[in-house]
Amino acid sequence: MSNHDPNKETLFQKMQKTQVFRAIFRTGGAIDTHKKRVLVTLNNVFLHLHPVRLPKHAVKVKYTWCMGGLSFFVFLVLTITGILLMFYYRPTVEYAYGDVTDLSEQVPLGIMREIHRWAAHLMVITVWLHMFRVFMTGSYKPPREFNWIVGVILLILTMLMSFTGYLLPWDQLAIWAITVGANMAAATPVIGTAGPGASLLAIGDVNFVHGTADAKFAMLGGRFVGEAALIRFYVLHCIGLPFVMMLFMIVHFWRVRKDGGISGPT
Amino acid sequence: MSSNPNNQTTLDQPVERRSFIKWATIGWAAFIGVVGGYASILIRYLFPNVLFEPKQSFRAGKPDEYVIGEVSERFKDLHGVWIVRETDKIYALATVCTHLGCTPTWMPGEAKFKCPCHGSGFYKNGINFEGPAPRPLERYLIGFNDSGEIVIDKTKKFQYEKGEWDDPQSFIAA
Amino acid sequence: MIESIKLFINQITAPQISFTAIILLFFFIFPPSEGLYKFHKKIGLHKLWTNAGGKFMMGALFLFFCFGIMDENFRLIVTKADNVPIVGLLFLVVFFLWFALKQGYDNDKRIEEGKGPIEAEDAKEKVLVWPDLVYIELIAIVGCSILLLVWAMGLAAPLEAPANPTVSPNPSKAPWYFLGLQEMLVYFDPWIAGVLFPAIIKLGFMAIPFIDNNPKGAGYYTFNERKMAISIFLFLWLVLWIFLISTGTFLRGPNWNFFGPFEYWDTHKLEALTNINLSELVYMIWLGQALPDNILIREMWGFLLIGAYFVITPALLTVTIFKKVFQRLGPVRYSVFIVLLLLACSLPIKMYLRWAFNIKYLVAIPEFFFNI
Repeated sequence: MSNHDPNKETLFQKMQKTQVFRAIFRTGGAIDTHKKRVLVTLNNVFLHLHPVRLPKHAVKVKYTWCMGGLSFFVFLVLTITGILLMFYYRPTVEYAYGDVTDLSEQVPLGIMREIHRWAAHLMVITVWLHMFRVFMTGSYKPPREFNWIVGVILLILTMLMSFTGYLLPWDQLAIWAITVGANMAAATPVIGTAGPGASLLAIGDVNFVHGTADAKFAMLGGRFVGEAALIRFYVLHCIGLPFVMMLFMIVHFWRVRKDGGISGPT
Repeated sequence: MSSNPNNQTTLDQPVERRSFIKWATIGWAAFIGVVGGYASILIRYLFPNVLFEPKQSFRAGKPDEYVIGEVSERFKDLHGVWIVRETDKIYALATVCTHLGCTPTWMPGEAKFKCPCHGSGFYKNGINFEGPAPRPLERYLIGFNDSGEIVIDKTKKFQYEKGEWDDPQSFIAA
Repeated sequence: MIESIKLFINQITAPQISFTAIILLFFFIFPPSEGLYKFHKKIGLHKLWTNAGGKFMMGALFLFFCFGIMDENFRLIVTKADNVPIVGLLFLVVFFLWFALKQGYDNDKRIEEGKGPIEAEDAKEKVLVWPDLVYIELIAIVGCSILLLVWAMGLAAPLEAPANPTVSPNPSKAPWYFLGLQEMLVYFDPWIAGVLFPAIIKLGFMAIPFIDNNPKGAGYYTFNERKMAISIFLFLWLVLWIFLISTGTFLRGPNWNFFGPFEYWDTHKLEALTNINLSELVYMIWLGQALPDNILIREMWGFLLIGAYFVITPALLTVTIFKKVFQRLGPVRYSVFIVLLLLACSLPIKMYLRWAFNIKYLVAIPEFFFNI
């Protein structure tokens, strides 16, 4: 390397000319021209979430706070750590608690659950702050009304994700938080046993809303927080809600672009 | 959003009104029917036919095993029931707070049940007197079996506010 | 000396006092109307949103926690693993509140001088996503993952005793982001606090873009141009959400009694909480007779009161302080707005009814699980 010949190609330059490299990186290796900088955004499916060019205020941290992007990043962290946690965790009343203690004691680097739990808290915080920023910059105003609605739905889904995950360690904290939540469901008007109007859905003496057929039962799959509730919450937490959330995220990101990119003064 | 100006006239031309209404009605009716059908199947799916939950009735010993004026916590952990003996009767209180279902704590010093979740308080007989609980604790069906033992059946509840505590099945005279 | 400061803080953090103080101060700090805004500037509260103000607020918060952490009871609550995020949240909320309003006030000044918001100046220049945005994203991601790793290594995730359906921990708390709801549950029946209000909160939030028809302030920070919208939003978010969450997290102890931040969590703390329903107050105490047997006659007064709240109050508001708002929003928007606002205000109203008159329910029909 010491006696450098300007006409001789470096290894990196040679590599860039191989068929394999060009097949993968369509823009090429060195992004050294203006044109290539545009192309790299256009050619990459992930970068393609962004427009090619932005007004300068839109990349300033003092305007965006990065909170929307960080919410998405934390969601990805939660997906990956969540999948890894599923390797060891069995959602049954018998094993759940033991598996969770094993996660910190018997598994190398036992902080996977810590990352997952704190990232979950962090996501609630970043989503709230994102909403706060969007409000303070008036970014929900036309034409972005619909995307604000999608955002509110994503906020609700974030809290539901967190709530369903709360049950899984199957400790005291878990079942009592869920018991309280489930009894709120029982207080739903008309379709909850302990809610106003539960006796309205009845023909003669036959009550349609009772202990084994109401909103709480649908949520828990039983009359109290037990085996059925654990598996229901597990499935919702790992597959059901993330799936719905991803659908709404697609809409959310798509609408950000379709509504004219990030908000700004006109 | 920009479209070919030559095509614009044909694209913006309204479809024939009669057939549009007809097909829109049929289309939407079919759509609602299908979605509604699927939704009802899905909702029914959430309620299994058989429940694998513990047995709901148990034997609780002889009446003289309970002290007059005290709240027995003997079956609290196992069955979620407090057995209270007053001078003339024995009844079984559910250990479920009527607010949101936490388990209240029996505080003998203050002679009350106190719920840790939202601070509801109940007297020894189950009547609520403080905090957010909207109604008194529920009582379970209580009776004797052939050998004179107390039997408590948790599938039948008696609620004070419905005037059910006078029901002879809601207590046993002792 | 220190003990007396602690005692003083314990007393003023009681919701009756702290909540009142916050409500009274709130509209001077975030004035919704022109008159209040002028007064707010006159007494110099706008200086909170300058660099010095920001340093002052963050410093005061930091000093309070430094002072508090030396106290055993305070340390116990604050360092509980699940409470740590909320301590972080408090700092973040104060910081970002300042950050948003600082930029808003700076822009207001520029707009007054006819220069337009700073964002408009920046927006004239265009930059490429690669590399200008991508490297910011990379830094944010790296920073965030380092934070998460350090947090995960430094603080073990909470795990209590294995689940036991017969023993509720004392106190039993919901996940922290639901503690605002749990706090509402002290004052309202579950079907209202747990079902009706959450549903209305969500729908109300979704309705914001359709209620707020003020075309100004889209895409840049400002306060002056949308005082009312920001003031109302911050009231909901800061007072009825963050404040109630902090109360529920830090100040609610065994049996869901209130405990000051420096108070020992005594399981046997006695608090007279003997509440009565409005019907009992009217018939048994004021009229000195037994409750009527007919449910509707018994609860008539509560229904009348609630009816009046939702009919007479909006009428009065429309012809007085909301005259201009009504003109700006038009009848449909205004109706939705006023109903949501009255529902939101019913929470503090119910809190004060409880504190002042020990009122439990305005309408109490436990026979049909219908209590308001």
